Amino acid sequence: MTWSASHYSAIKSSHTEFPMKMEDMPLSGPDNTKLEALVHDIYSELVEDACLGLCFEVHRAVKQGYFFLDETDQESLKEFEIVDQPGVDIFGQVYNQWKNKECECPNCKRLIAASRFAPHLEKCLGMGRNSSRIANRRLASNNNMSKSESDQEDNDDLNDNDWSYGAEKKAKKRKSDKNQNSPRRSRSLKHKNGELGGSVSSESHKYNYNTGISYETLGPDEVRSFLTTQCGVISEHTKKMCTRSQRCPQHTDEQRRAVRVFLLGPSAPPLPDADAVAESDSFDIPDGQTVMSRLQWEDSPDISPADSASSKASINHSDPRRPKKKKKTPLSLNSVGGSGGGGGGGGSLTGGIISSSSSSSQNNISLSTKKKRPKLPAPSISSIYDDLN
Amino acid sequence: MGERERLKELLRAKLTECGWKDQMKAHCKEVIKEKGLEHVTVEDLVVEITPKGRALVPDSVKKELLHRIRAFLAQHAT
Repeated sequence: MTWSASHYSAIKSSHTEFPMKMEDMPLSGPDNTKLEALVHDIYSELVEDACLGLCFEVHRAVKQGYFFLDETDQESLKEFEIVDQPGVDIFGQVYNQWKNKECECPNCKRLIAASRFAPHLEKCLGMGRNSSRIANRRLASNNNMSKSESDQEDNDDLNDNDWSYGAEKKAKKRKSDKNQNSPRRSRSLKHKNGELGGSVSSESHKYNYNTGISYETLGPDEVRSFLTTQCGVISEHTKKMCTRSQRCPQHTDEQRRAVRVFLLGPSAPPLPDADAVAESDSFDIPDGQTVMSRLQWEDSPDISPADSASSKASINHSDPRRPKKKKKTPLSLNSVGGSGGGGGGGGSLTGGIISSSSSSSQNNISLSTKKKRPKLPAPSISSIYDDLN
Repeated sequence: MGERERLKELLRAKLTECGWKDQMKAHCKEVIKEKGLEHVTVEDLVVEITPKGRALVPDSVKKELLHRIRAFLAQHAT
């Protein structure tokens, strides 16, 4: 009895060892009650141990300050309750808000619909596949025709459909615009012109594939065929011809007619179907931007031919007997007899508009010789124009 | 790992499983609020918590534990 009791106390004092001590315990015989007591003691020992562990845990939590963290009050429970209503996410926010979000382009400061922002940025910053092509073209045209950068910028702006300003635009119009401006279309256009141009296909690289065609680069045949199918009105910004159809909404019939008269001569065919043959021999590209602008902005006859740039070199002007002239006095620029060609009033009579040889000597200086056809760089013209004013 | 450690682990798992731990924590909160957050000591907690902890142990857990202890003793008594 006492023997086992002493053993039991030994177990109690150092319970880490109790498995070993157990082995010495005499548990056989009548003292089953002792055994039961022992078992219960061990059990309560274990439970107390668990309690102690919990106490330590709680005490540490209290002293560190995180014991009450998981407690919430009713207010915040209400506030963060999960919302279960149609059309609303679990936080109670409308989930398609982003649809009418607009972003400001960091480059050009315009507001662009979020869904169109990435494409716009690509274009605006000149990165991405298409834009690099555009940038290359821009570089090329800069070298080629000394176009000013701003001209191209204007061009881009015209083409930019991302502009949220037009968000209210009719879908139909947008679509057609897009089609007109897509690279695919301009490419096909170029093809067509190359075909029609025949021998001049080598010059096809001079076309602006983007929005229009520089009339300066086209031969007479090309111009004619172009005008039979396309609108052809020359933009005052880009000096390019409009490549849309003859019923393009951007330009008026009046403008189209003026351009045809200007480019093809007074005998220019009527708008819808042009088939008349203009005199191709004497025809060539007129040299004056001034002429162009006058044509576009229609009949400001107060500017007399004498004002025009080429009149500086004038020998004879405003011959009343000019047969081809109908009403447009500005067109009488041709009367500026070329240094070599005209030689007299009679000479200018035959010139439908202006013969290439008759372009004024001043302009001849700036004409680049690398092109087949004489072409006037815009800057020289504008400088002349400035002189006049 | 001795048998004692094994039993302790078993007990802890069982008690957590049956919710004893949560009950005890709730009780702890009461005690702590009553005493004041700053003045709680481990001794206070032990005194307050242990009787309650002993009482709250589910019968099934207690039975299983007793059984295991007894089995172990019997196995090693001879």
